[in-house]
Amino acid sequence: MRYRIAILLMLMSAMPAVAQTEDSSARTHSLVLGAGSADQLDTYLSPRDYSGLRFTMLRETLRMTRMAGERISFQTLWQGDVSYSRNSAHTATDMGGHIGYNALWHYNWTPVRGLRLMAGGAVGGDAGFLYNSRGGNNPAQARLGLDVSASVMAVYRLRLWGTELGLRYQADMPFAGVMFSPQFGQSYYEIGEGYFDGNVCFTHPGNAFSLWQQFTLDIPIGRYAVLRTGYMCDIRQSHVNDIKMHDRSHSFIIGFVKHFRRIGKNERRTRGTIL
Amino acid sequence: MKNRIMARKLLITIFAGLMMSACVDEEQFGNTAQGNIEALWRIIDEHYCFLDYKGEVFGLDWNEVHGRYATMAGAPLSHEQLREVLCSMLAELRDGHVNLYTAGDVGRYWAWKEDYPANLNDEIRDSYLGTDYRIAAGLRYRILRDNVGYISYTSFSSPIGEGNIAEALHYLRLCSGLIIDVRGNGGGQLDYEQRLASHFTNERIHVGYRSHKTGRGHSDFSVPVAEYLEPSTTVRWQKPVIVLTNRQCYSATNTFVRDMRCCPGVRTLGDNTGGGSGMPFTSELPNGWLVRFSACPQYDRKGQHIEFGIAPDIPCVMTDEDVAKGRDTLIELAVEILKSR
Repeated sequence: MRYRIAILLMLMSAMPAVAQTEDSSARTHSLVLGAGSADQLDTYLSPRDYSGLRFTMLRETLRMTRMAGERISFQTLWQGDVSYSRNSAHTATDMGGHIGYNALWHYNWTPVRGLRLMAGGAVGGDAGFLYNSRGGNNPAQARLGLDVSASVMAVYRLRLWGTELGLRYQADMPFAGVMFSPQFGQSYYEIGEGYFDGNVCFTHPGNAFSLWQQFTLDIPIGRYAVLRTGYMCDIRQSHVNDIKMHDRSHSFIIGFVKHFRRIGKNERRTRGTIL
Repeated sequence: MKNRIMARKLLITIFAGLMMSACVDEEQFGNTAQGNIEALWRIIDEHYCFLDYKGEVFGLDWNEVHGRYATMAGAPLSHEQLREVLCSMLAELRDGHVNLYTAGDVGRYWAWKEDYPANLNDEIRDSYLGTDYRIAAGLRYRILRDNVGYISYTSFSSPIGEGNIAEALHYLRLCSGLIIDVRGNGGGQLDYEQRLASHFTNERIHVGYRSHKTGRGHSDFSVPVAEYLEPSTTVRWQKPVIVLTNRQCYSATNTFVRDMRCCPGVRTLGDNTGGGSGMPFTSELPNGWLVRFSACPQYDRKGQHIEFGIAPDIPCVMTDEDVAKGRDTLIELAVEILKSR
């Protein structure tokens, strides 16, 4: 108990790091790997929930732009993941793969020293598949979609034990998009022969509520290295053409962050700022 | 202040409500006898494509079936008893495409062939092929007496390519007619049946329709889409053809017979086909057992169901007398017809 109070006091008394000026020459690259649980349902394949593992790779770039007096940042996110899950009776498996890309623009505020709040939007797309080991003429499901999302982020920099740490929370939620889906009982054989029937569906939070969140802690190690670790929650859902789908995962993530500053035409690695 | 607290509570309630309703989930039945019976009934109720049609043909009432079988879940059921109950419920559908796969057995309804004479004796049929017949992938063929060509194709699961068919037809090109024997062929890949049938038409022909379910209701179907048979770009047969059929012609073979009947110069001889015009999908129960069921119906070119088979142009049955003599009545009649042409 004492130990917890001591940690709490230290965190509360931690001084915000000295604000550093982020300009359009600063950029951050990160690569993190994640592992966690997967909870999958696709009623085109089976009415049963499948649970298992998901492994994720997330590549991110983040930089300030010259827009709005250098208050708008630009972020790109590449996410790839593979999953393996089983039904509750352990008689069948699902294997999935997914890749997604998001380009995000955030307006930045710094209400107090060390705290940066960001809000904006994103455009993105994703593609993937889910294969069921026992399916007959419905063995797999394709995923293909484009969407526009709302995004918020908060970054807090603090100095603790003489080290500048970065805490970050980000949440993205698609609010409009299109996705591919077979009809309720339509076979891919039929689609393959060119018979389409409402296979491009409009999506919104009412029929495809999805939410991507991550909470990370950046810890500088040595002169240039920054370790990033945290938690990622990825909820993808849809209910179109009477086919229900959810793919929810909670992952522990760990990776490295690199900070660069553009000097002339060259990028130079710096101790830089944590965005 | 009070208003602000109220507004905050309201916002929290709306947000919580949105989050709760936003979850996309499917009802998960428990792994009990009742849960498995309910799950199976629901799968068929929402996905099976012939509930309305079979209601018209033999009075199938799936809600009434639920009433009868749900009462059985009241008593404790052993593993084997549960399997029997579920298989019995599926048998109400009278569909060879409906199966229950367990680790130790495959629940099935095969009355569509077992309740009828086979009109096929493998030993006698093989005696017509002899030992020096030719094999092109899944096709076995040779020239019979009176210069009649004969091809036997016993499974549309056996792959055949354009080259295989072209080689076989080229070999038989001097024959006066051709017998294609698909008796005992329980189906397989639709691609193979189309590939074979495409060698018997010179033009694109309308052979039927297909549709699929668009929702969970019994009558939720897409507008039927016309299906066409495209002519092969290689060898195309121009002489009379007789397709031999029996009750064991099922699924893709049933579709093959449907397609061939639309081709010029083709007649069918034998017994009704077994049927099976619903492309099967699979699903599963809480205990992990696999269920197969008809999901996407096909129709003939008049838009009529072919789920219960297709009648032959020339009805013919194997006679005991011929069997005793080692003669195949259907092949003999087909040879006589083609010879006379």
